[in-house]
Amino acid sequence: MATALHEIRFHGRGGQGSVSAAALLSVAAFLDGYEAQAFPRFGSERRGAPVEAYVRISREPIRRHNQIYEPDAVVIQDPTLLRSENVTAGLRDGGFVILNGEPPATATSSSAAVWLGIPASRIGRACLGRPLPNTALLGALAAVTEWVSMDALEEAVTNHLAHKGEEVVLGNIQALHQGREAAVHPGPPA
Amino acid sequence: MRQQLEGSHAVASAVARCRPRVIAAYPITPQTHIIEHLARMIADGDLDSEFVSAESEFAAASIVLGAVATGERAFTATASQGLLLMTEVLFNIAGLRLPVVMICANRAVSAPISIFNDHQDSMSLRDAGWIQLYVESNQEAADTVVQAYRIAETCALPVMVCMDGFFLTHTFEPVELPTQEEVDRYLPPLRFPRALNPARPMTLGGGAEPDNYLEYRASQHRALDDAAETIAHASTEYAQVTGRDHGGLFEAYRLADAHTVVVALGSVMGAIKDSVDALRHQGQAVGALRLRCFRPFPSQALVRALAGAQRIVVVEKALSAGAGGILACELRACLQQAGSACPVHGFVGGLGGRDLTVNTLTAVIDAAAKSPAPACRFIDCHETGPLETG
Repeated sequence: MATALHEIRFHGRGGQGSVSAAALLSVAAFLDGYEAQAFPRFGSERRGAPVEAYVRISREPIRRHNQIYEPDAVVIQDPTLLRSENVTAGLRDGGFVILNGEPPATATSSSAAVWLGIPASRIGRACLGRPLPNTALLGALAAVTEWVSMDALEEAVTNHLAHKGEEVVLGNIQALHQGREAAVHPGPPA
Repeated sequence: MRQQLEGSHAVASAVARCRPRVIAAYPITPQTHIIEHLARMIADGDLDSEFVSAESEFAAASIVLGAVATGERAFTATASQGLLLMTEVLFNIAGLRLPVVMICANRAVSAPISIFNDHQDSMSLRDAGWIQLYVESNQEAADTVVQAYRIAETCALPVMVCMDGFFLTHTFEPVELPTQEEVDRYLPPLRFPRALNPARPMTLGGGAEPDNYLEYRASQHRALDDAAETIAHASTEYAQVTGRDHGGLFEAYRLADAHTVVVALGSVMGAIKDSVDALRHQGQAVGALRLRCFRPFPSQALVRALAGAQRIVVVEKALSAGAGGILACELRACLQQAGSACPVHGFVGGLGGRDLTVNTLTAVIDAAAKSPAPACRFIDCHETGPLETG
């Protein structure tokens, strides 16, 4: 049975760009030569409501269009979701948790998971003028998992956001790298 | 060149390469992205077409009816309540034998209101006289919409391309778009001899009396029946131009020596193929048949393709409440007519966006080999427990 190499689940809130983050990751994986799939699971489309989005990365064509129940990584764009959603449900042993903010003192998931807190909103505010966490979290995910290359992420951001202007593209590329740095060299608490 | 594209973006690009002159639509989730992409292409000067933002789906359908009646290629897209609101016009388009092409981004029907995917909307319009093609992937969606114009214009029949809402429309996956050159080679400009023209006045859609209405309807039925050959041919010729073949009337998967054959429509077949592989790995003779063309219902081709099956498991995302699964009922009828006693297990699932996972589907298929055929069971129904009679 064809199974994906890597399955990633994004948890965010409507308006935060979870869907865009998943799409960008899938484009980057595709540019790296993988088969990739990304799709959202909306509640009803309300700003602020919990949203999930999914990415599969595979060496084989991906046939199934199912949601992801046993992710290899979860990316949490809003730490307040930890209070209301079971964001680590089904996370595989040794899976990655990339969290916007500080990891909670008592990590709620299996101890086997790798928890990484990234000050992604702060990076977003610095690079983009708004606390948008997406690209910083993608840079961190790429750093700790090595599932996609930074070159591919840069190209995905450049192509995907070109219509928003050069300033937005450059800001997001900067955020990618700062997210990556924050993952490689965790600094003092945000 | 393969690209990582959202399904809506991919089909909109393919539609644009068919050079529709009129596009009319009213926004409804999960169809809206398709129309937004087309509107953007027109606004950017990349597509020479007139975009009409209609005040309702009823109006959108009426506008494409009028556009095609004057001999121009047209396009619309909708879903769910929008499709139902078009109903009266859709019967008219088919009765007038107008080659309209539309995409239905399949979505559940109210009440209760749900924006999520199933096939109740298009299946409820199965008697409207439209050809209905269901696709599994965004690659197939983009390729099929091009074939749809060719089929519609060859047969003088409207074609509805049914793609699963969200599961396809909102999914990014690799797609190789047909190039403009390939589409132009495959799809000649629309020639519609009955086009309304003030220089040559005539009536389109006059009344019928009891002594000739029935003949109109009988000829419509024959035209749909005959369209099966055109649909298969359109698929073959498309493959000659682009190298991509998704099957004509249906796609067979590990079918040749299968004792248990799963029959389904649309994107759920991806997970079913993974289930078939899992059960094959356990040594079970399981295969699948994905019906691409639901109207016309290709009875003869299905009877032939399913001749070796010992049992058929239909998994469908629509329901004729009070009768059961629609596809299962039609398949039983055509097998019985052909003298086959092959049992058809009827399963309805995935309604309102409920995910049909590989594990669930594998369990359903596995259980079917060990139990008598249910007329209609609901998959993963909380009220009754998984696999219990609903």
